[in-house]
Amino acid sequence: MNVIQATLTGALIGGLYALMAAGLSVTWGVLRIINLAHFGLILIGAYLTFQVATSWHLDPVLTLVVTVPAMFVAGAAIQWLFDRLRLTEFNSLLVSFGLLIITIQVTSNIWSADFRRMSADVNPYATQSVALGRLVFPVTTLVAFGLAALVVLGAHLVLRRTFAGRAMRAIAQDRAVAGAFGVDHRRLSVLLGGVVGATAALAGMVFALSNALTPDTAYEWFGTVFAVVILGGIGEVVGTFAAGILVGVLSGVVSAVWSPAAAPFVLFSAIILALLLRPQGLFAAGGVR
Amino acid sequence: MSEPLLQVRDLDVRYGDAQALWDVAIEVHEGETVCVVGPNGAGKSTLVNAVAGIHPAHRGRISVGGVDVTRLRGHRVCGHGVAIVPEGRRIFPRMTVLDNLVLGAYRKSARRPHRETLAGVYEIFPRLAERAGQLAGSLSGGEQQMVAIGRALMAQPRLLLLDEPSLGLAPVRVDEVYDAIGRINERGVSVVVVEQDVQRALAIAGRAYLLGEGRVVMSGPAAELRDSAEVRRSVLGL
Repeated sequence: MNVIQATLTGALIGGLYALMAAGLSVTWGVLRIINLAHFGLILIGAYLTFQVATSWHLDPVLTLVVTVPAMFVAGAAIQWLFDRLRLTEFNSLLVSFGLLIITIQVTSNIWSADFRRMSADVNPYATQSVALGRLVFPVTTLVAFGLAALVVLGAHLVLRRTFAGRAMRAIAQDRAVAGAFGVDHRRLSVLLGGVVGATAALAGMVFALSNALTPDTAYEWFGTVFAVVILGGIGEVVGTFAAGILVGVLSGVVSAVWSPAAAPFVLFSAIILALLLRPQGLFAAGGVR
Repeated sequence: MSEPLLQVRDLDVRYGDAQALWDVAIEVHEGETVCVVGPNGAGKSTLVNAVAGIHPAHRGRISVGGVDVTRLRGHRVCGHGVAIVPEGRRIFPRMTVLDNLVLGAYRKSARRPHRETLAGVYEIFPRLAERAGQLAGSLSGGEQQMVAIGRALMAQPRLLLLDEPSLGLAPVRVDEVYDAIGRINERGVSVVVVEQDVQRALAIAGRAYLLGEGRVVMSGPAAELRDSAEVRRSVLGL
């Protein structure tokens, strides 16, 4: 029973990993930019959720009305900047890491390095759960999973079915030829940066629902989220979702049957093994790249 | 004679410090098939890439339908009715055949009628209809060339640029490709073919240009170039 509970809870928490990883993966696959600043956007998204909900006594989910547009603009601006700098894949790692450090510093100046958490009266979700027989699911994990599923499904449909989505996949495969057919790489990259920023707002909100915030949290996301991106296959949104669930389940089960301290060890050993067998990612199929 | 559909004048193109084209001038009139031949490294691909906006011109003027497109950003050139079948095909290998084709219709005025255009492309290349759902990268070389040509047709071009369409194809596939080029031209699309397979290109073209070391060495009716000693020497090595 314990293992079943751990598996299901892990799968739901995996939704949050997927939500954090999806934007990183698509930016990497389509624009060849490894945007570490994405973690900074998630962090700001989380703090904005905390701030807006606390100051205005707003339901945290409703704060998305503010945070999504704000992070869309921030994400688009960052992408615009990257485009002007003509970053290579490797340089993007350095520049965006710099941006992340600045973001963390600014966050810590504004909100201090102390833990911040939404109080129970503005955040009803943190204490609620749904029981299914003897299984119990915290509402926050259901929200995480639901939003991740929506984002992934939406991104998948846009990439497959729309002119803009096809153009993004074309840019990923041959930018010059895509341009010869009228694809404006600059405009699309700014648009994509905005959409990815919006997903950072969602991820930040979900994180703030069930966690206390401190600026250093952003560093803690690195390992797990990168694992999800690589396992899912770079640029593969559906793969990212599957990888998020897998990583969530693996961490959950190892924590339950062994010890939470062993989870990273098992997780990253499994990832190294998986990549030896399938270097392109476990779930890479016919994605953008 | 009316104004040419494509007019290239005094064109210089550089890759960094290396200059690839000097003072190139070519013209293509409405409905013509023109070929550009020359030895390896003569600048043939550079010329069509410059016209398609893939590589910028350093000096000179390129106009399409009387509009100067020289300084346009690359993605705007196709809006004036230019589409390219690049050297080595350069299809999008991890997209389906259908997605490759539909991407060809990305430019604004080609989007709305793209279903009708697609039917026309399938008429020319029925094989693409059978392969629509397959990843383009999984196709044979000849089929990939069909995808590349079909993708260009989806843009509803007035001017179709083909860069080495016979490259790497079995002779029977080359026949198919050239047969298709002929039919496309019959539908009113002007065609520029860049080829190393000189005989094949001269057979289909009305007029021809011979490039050598980045300059136009000779131009005239294709039949005239076919018989010229200059062409035989520089391209055929005879």
